[in-house]
Amino acid sequence: MIPDGIADVIERTVTHEELEDALARPIPVDERDEVTALVRWFTTRYSSAEARLSYVRQAYERWRGHARPR
Amino acid sequence: MQPSRFDEVAFFRALDQSGARALLIGRRALVLLGLPVLTADYDFWIAIDDIEPFNVVAARFDLRPTRTPDQARQHGRYVLENDEHVDVLVARSVPTFKGESVQFDELWKERVRVPLDDVHVSMPSLDNLILTKQIRSRPKDLEDIRLLRILKESRS
Repeated sequence: MIPDGIADVIERTVTHEELEDALARPIPVDERDEVTALVRWFTTRYSSAEARLSYVRQAYERWRGHARPR
Repeated sequence: MQPSRFDEVAFFRALDQSGARALLIGRRALVLLGLPVLTADYDFWIAIDDIEPFNVVAARFDLRPTRTPDQARQHGRYVLENDEHVDVLVARSVPTFKGESVQFDELWKERVRVPLDDVHVSMPSLDNLILTKQIRSRPKDLEDIRLLRILKESRS
């Protein structure tokens, strides 16, 4: 369960300016390279779609385990 | 609680064979495209006439709808759930945050089919996936737009 204050931040609707910026701003080369490298790692390490889905399920369970109140 | 033994491949296989027009949207679509993003649920946009066949598939996996088909058509959304959570958008069109109309039929016509084991998963094209991210326009949608734009640029 995500606390209300955090949920408000996560679920808020962005401003028009924020959306326009996300859609139109030029993406710097280093930022593009970082994401491209991440995609390359993910699609090489988990080369099939089913492996990628399985990885994400496990990653989410790990995250949920860490996020759960102790 | 232990996670369910939800068999994703079997679910997508049954969906593919059902003939229901269902597009995988949301972050799991990004995962299939090769973007390692965290997500808890499944998001589908389905044809307004295909709620029943979609629910028949879901029922085989013990996923129960939160609304009747008529209620779902009225509200435009419903959820299928057990310890999995499937958000289902069911509308002919939905406005983006900027007021642009996103039509299901257009997205379906331009869909891509991503191989998953021995089946295919239907999802919007990259451009249309970016468009669906403008419907809710939350901070995480902007992050997804950033990732999808980079993926698109790297493919062109």
